[in-house]
Amino acid sequence: MIEATIGRDERFDPARTRGQGRADLFRSFRTAVALGWKMEANWTDPVLFFIYSVAKPLASALILVFMLQVIAGPAGQALRPFVIVGSALWSLVVSGIAGLAWAVLDDRERYRMLKYIYVSPSSFVVVLLGRGIARLAVGAMGAGITLAAGVLVLGVPFDPGAIDWPLLLAVLVLGLATISALGVVMAAICLQTRQDSWTYPEAVAGALFLVVGAVFPLSVLPDPLQLLGLLSPLTWWIAGIRQALFPGGPSSIGGTGSAWLRLSGEVNPNDLQIVLVLLATGAVVTLASAILFRVGEGRARDRGLIDRTTGS
Amino acid sequence: MSGSIQAPAIDVRGITRVYKARPKDVIALAGIDLEVAPGEFFGLLGPNGAGKTTLIKILTTLLLPSAGTARIFGFDVARETKQIRRIMNMVAGGEQSGYGILEAREQLWMFSQFYGLGVREGWRRVDELIDAVGLGEQRNQRVSTLSTGQRQKMNFARGLLNDPWVFFLDEPTLGLDVSAARAVRELMVGWRAAVPGRTVLLTTHYMAEADELCERIAIVDRGRILAIGSPAELKRRVQRESIFRLELDRLTGGPASLARLPGVLSAVAATPVRADANSAARPTVAINLVLHQDSALAGVVAALDGLDAHIVALAKSEPSLEDVFVELVGRGFDDEGDPEQPPRRAVEPHEAGQPEPEEANR
Repeated sequence: MIEATIGRDERFDPARTRGQGRADLFRSFRTAVALGWKMEANWTDPVLFFIYSVAKPLASALILVFMLQVIAGPAGQALRPFVIVGSALWSLVVSGIAGLAWAVLDDRERYRMLKYIYVSPSSFVVVLLGRGIARLAVGAMGAGITLAAGVLVLGVPFDPGAIDWPLLLAVLVLGLATISALGVVMAAICLQTRQDSWTYPEAVAGALFLVVGAVFPLSVLPDPLQLLGLLSPLTWWIAGIRQALFPGGPSSIGGTGSAWLRLSGEVNPNDLQIVLVLLATGAVVTLASAILFRVGEGRARDRGLIDRTTGS
Repeated sequence: MSGSIQAPAIDVRGITRVYKARPKDVIALAGIDLEVAPGEFFGLLGPNGAGKTTLIKILTTLLLPSAGTARIFGFDVARETKQIRRIMNMVAGGEQSGYGILEAREQLWMFSQFYGLGVREGWRRVDELIDAVGLGEQRNQRVSTLSTGQRQKMNFARGLLNDPWVFFLDEPTLGLDVSAARAVRELMVGWRAAVPGRTVLLTTHYMAEADELCERIAIVDRGRILAIGSPAELKRRVQRESIFRLELDRLTGGPASLARLPGVLSAVAATPVRADANSAARPTVAINLVLHQDSALAGVVAALDGLDAHIVALAKSEPSLEDVFVELVGRGFDDEGDPEQPPRRAVEPHEAGQPEPEEANR
């Protein structure tokens, strides 16, 4: 039976060591996305899927909205779009950052397949990105549902005709690329760590949550944290999405007493400034992620961590 | 470096691997030299912790060596990983690997894509291999529902997806029951026999498996290769005398009458195979005969006429690979021994016998 499956050439053909370049990359990426979708969107357990992908981000947003209601009273109504958008986008950020890292941990610890993927000719980072995209897509569903609930249930005023589509498209593309780059960084870290590093991505996301203006403006923070926030591409991404969906709404970056006002002399950043700063900070993060992944992968290979399982 | 058909399939020079650990570093490989010719079925035989898996990890690009070089068909395992990964594959035993939620066929197809096969070609190859490894009935079964043996067959099919030119098998029958292990061994033999140019590197601590499958074997212990050779060569290495088991219908004068013959070192009564009381066969006399060399047997046979004895059975007792290991290391496979103690007799690679050019091309 085996004889029928393979060629009959008896001499080594060096041509077999050559790949097909971009076609191989695309094929690997597409397959990894399909694999990730199968793994993440485990439709055989819709209850579990609903809890993690819909109920959790929705509940997080509702908690913030009700806290705002209690603290600010009727005045908090004006800030609802701010909180809903920030909270919804943040669940997407967490999914994106965690997606690649969890793909590493899943494949190494649970499925024991990471080494087989690693020794295949596919680009390792491209396969991980494919796996991460699937989780990002699941996160996007949660974010979409949270936004929809905000508009339909919580009465967030939303005018589809007012959407700034060019800005939305630009910041979406740049932001998702940046989130993926952050995911690559977390994957490089989780290649070095033990099984209990499942929580690392959420811990990192939690720390970033403080400084990116997701649910409150940066101006309430001390200056050093404001500056940290201004250096984070996530801050500009969230601000850009808010600006595109709710033009003229409150900004998380500028305002009275903000570091942005002192640095730029302008109350709020305009659309172009948002895109340019997002592009610049995102490029730095992407470049750094590529370097960190290369270093992390090399270190993991040097220390024998690619296939080292710690959970059993 | 570009690969060429003259390059050895596997060429390892001075490979050392040290794992950083507390209280002191662990030396997994202590300067291994090894050359495997294209088309060889080569075995690494050694107890757990000998360094076999570490060497396979280095050769499959999973792990970097601490020192030394290793090449697969001329490609450096540290730097030319893409080229190597296209022409090799690996299967490890003793693990429950696989994406449980996927069907066996789906999982294999995904790997066919990671190996650069086209969509249709991937499905065709997957279906062929599923049939080849005997998983036809389980092709649409979820991986999580497959037995250990079935998973290993699927793993084997995954390993063959890219028609590897060098196939690394790390304890592939570990944890399998007898019939599943036999099936996996048959797969190995059948696959390689189909294309003689393909190379297999098998690690195992099952001596019978190494003896049955491998053309050459390296005996490894504590990160060192102690001996390399064909199973027969390795056994000859420890066989200083010729040992025969002789069964006669009768023997006037008993074993002592044979012990006096030229070239006979000892002749000792042994238990006859057919000595049970219920046997209808005539009782026989069994003797363990130790000769200085094989040629002394002719004198023994000639002398039997004069002793009114006739041969019922005659067999040469071969030493096993375990005997070889014990001779080389001074302990059995299952004995931990003292890690500080050097092996009883370390055989230099050149002494152990690298393949001659004509042997390498067989």
